[in-house]
Amino acid sequence: MSVQLLLGNDAIALGMVQNGCQVVTAYPGTPSSEILAGVVKFKKKLSRKIYTEWSASEKVAFEVALAASWSGLRSATTMKQVGLNVAADPLFSAAYTGVVGGFVIVPCDDPGPMSSQTEQDSRLFGLIAKVPVLDPSTPAEAMAMVKEALELSERHRVPVILRPTTRVCHAVQSVEVNGSGQEAFAPARPGFKRDPQRWAATPAFRLKLHHELNAKLRAIEDEFEKSPLNSISNSLISNSLIAQRIGGLEIRDWRIGIIASGVAFTTAQEALAELGASAPILKIGTPYPLPRKLVTDFIARCERVLVIEEPDACIELQIPDRTRVSGRLDGTVPNAGELSPEVIMAVLAEALEAGGAPVPPPPDDDSLAAIVQSLKIAPRRPRLCPGCSHRSAFFTVKHTFGPNAIYPGDIGCYTLGTNLRAVDTCVDMGASVTMAAGFYHANRLAGDKRPIVATIGDSTFIHSGIVPLVNAVHTNARFILLILDNHTTAMTGAQPTPANDYVADGDIATKVPIPGLVRACGVKFVRVADPYDQKPFESLLKEAQVFTQSPEGGVAVIIADRPCVLYDRAPVDENPVPVVITEECDGCRYCVEAFECPALILRPDKSRVDIDYRVCVDCGQCIDACYKGFIVPQTEPTKT
Amino acid sequence: MERKLIVAGIGGQGVIFVTKVLSQAAMARGERVMASENHGMSQRGGSVMSHVKIGGSDAPLIRRGTADALIALDRMEAIRNLPFVRAGGSVCLNSSNGLEPAVMPRLAEMGINVHAFNADARAKELGAPAVANLILLGFAAAHSALGLSVEELKEAVRALGPAKAVEMNLKALDAGAGAEE
Repeated sequence: MSVQLLLGNDAIALGMVQNGCQVVTAYPGTPSSEILAGVVKFKKKLSRKIYTEWSASEKVAFEVALAASWSGLRSATTMKQVGLNVAADPLFSAAYTGVVGGFVIVPCDDPGPMSSQTEQDSRLFGLIAKVPVLDPSTPAEAMAMVKEALELSERHRVPVILRPTTRVCHAVQSVEVNGSGQEAFAPARPGFKRDPQRWAATPAFRLKLHHELNAKLRAIEDEFEKSPLNSISNSLISNSLIAQRIGGLEIRDWRIGIIASGVAFTTAQEALAELGASAPILKIGTPYPLPRKLVTDFIARCERVLVIEEPDACIELQIPDRTRVSGRLDGTVPNAGELSPEVIMAVLAEALEAGGAPVPPPPDDDSLAAIVQSLKIAPRRPRLCPGCSHRSAFFTVKHTFGPNAIYPGDIGCYTLGTNLRAVDTCVDMGASVTMAAGFYHANRLAGDKRPIVATIGDSTFIHSGIVPLVNAVHTNARFILLILDNHTTAMTGAQPTPANDYVADGDIATKVPIPGLVRACGVKFVRVADPYDQKPFESLLKEAQVFTQSPEGGVAVIIADRPCVLYDRAPVDENPVPVVITEECDGCRYCVEAFECPALILRPDKSRVDIDYRVCVDCGQCIDACYKGFIVPQTEPTKT
Repeated sequence: MERKLIVAGIGGQGVIFVTKVLSQAAMARGERVMASENHGMSQRGGSVMSHVKIGGSDAPLIRRGTADALIALDRMEAIRNLPFVRAGGSVCLNSSNGLEPAVMPRLAEMGINVHAFNADARAKELGAPAVANLILLGFAAAHSALGLSVEELKEAVRALGPAKAVEMNLKALDAGAGAEE
């Protein structure tokens, strides 16, 4: 036993490695991305033979891991919450067929949202797909729940969802790690056993499997009634996770009881302790299927019950009688946004007061906050990095096509192209291509021929851009698709894509080059160009636009080819173009707004722009961002 | 002793490394640690903040008005995050011109101590602009804002590595500890 500082995602990864997962797959996405990286790290450290894969999409990841489970191996797949939308198809099907080796799915939810397009609750996928869900409150608990999930999965032959949120994934906790981790977990031998009535079931057999699944869920609910993952604690008894089972607790007439899960549980526990209020908390670690008897018995002992959970109502929805229950469904708990400690404190204080419990006013003093708020300091918005080739591409696109064109965008760092006004839409992975085609077909009805320039990254194109491109070509759509190929999945920490020549653990991979994929989709205009060469890039964009409008034309694809400057600085360092801003700069702000490089700083008195050489990478890309010619190459190295 | 610390800055300033040093130092002393980091979007030059709770509960975030100290690598981020600091707490910030004058009277009423110093300038003198974060951390420790000593932070820096950075990181902690406001 040793105590280690573990990131929540590392704790989950260690849980997978220590508990014998032999295949782990993922598609990167915040807040989940560090899990697979952690599995690679721990498998090397502990010399375990584990197949790890950064898959082309979440659906791919899910199915690769599922096949391992059907072969009898323990396996896992991880993704961000919206990734489970992409993998929903196999999720629903796999719930019916069941599994052989323990199979755990880890979709990471993002209340806030901090890095996502929605605040959806992956636990609700458990309800509609009929898949059991575990909900950890801390990294330590997440690690322990990996084991629980794998065992549960094997006991009942069902996939199991382990659902952490950002504040679990990205929390760092001092965690007690059992043993040295060196104990060999006997690896299973893969042995897929043919059973077409299950693994290739036709609808008639699917009905049978559905009945079987319902029976499994009833058995699992019975098990959850007695599971130590659900427990009652009293805020005044203890502020730690040590809790008493309902049978062992002194029964009182509680005016108000709390039902909580995830981070809302630990936050509520702390808030109650601070308020000095006595209220029992039923912690739910198994939100689906909800142990309804346990919950109903708890509610029966309380006059009012408050349910606190994130990011939506999952436990609350399953409570059979909600007459005396408050939560998200009646608006007591806010229905959007993270349940921050401030929100939970306010909700608890109000609930305790409404329940007639004597509560001191919450210790919040907002006078300092009010002064700070009056200063109106906005948080700094994220921007493309200095030297980012996306900036060069967007700047040239905007310069070429102006404000009249439509710019469908996609998911990745380059969504930040909105800052440069070269991204007008962001729906989901791959939607830039479909939206571009949709805008084209809609505009064409009225003879509107305005340019449409869509942007998508390399990883996103392979994830979800190929089928939309085939569809666009087939339906004679006409637009420019710019594939911003920076040779990696940059936003989430530089995971390889199928266009790279290495896989998750560094082994050699077979490259699937993007130009060949694009040609295979039927595109007749395919060019590869370096967006750093802004003038030729502009000429190419114009040529592409002519092609889209020509009689034989269609979709024109330009692959903007330049590695991410954050992960491969060599091309910039080999050809540095240090710049200075001349004395003539009049502070017109054009470069600051149209180019938006973090290294271009407008003086507070707005008299001129300076270069912040601490962050400047000497890419020289801003030279054309001053149409007055005041940004010039340095003649001699005079860096200050 | 329970200690709640907020570390704030902008992407690229090393907020996460400061968080790691604080967590490591506290763990080495046998304390329970719960810290929260920003990842993803916020790292692209945006505002970054982390919460570090030492010897406290398992809840990951610090509520406004309850932090013992705010360690800010950027003046604007310091101002934005002031509401986290409790009465009697302290603020240590990297700034050549102190904190916003408009907030000072209220801070004085609340007994919040402000310690400002230009860690960027000191880092430049050391020839390593990237270690401004550890210089400020040493400075904060010397002003008893952390509940951790400079020696404990140094031990954490040694444990965290990487080997080639340790010497400069130790130097940075010392430089901050010896700095004048």
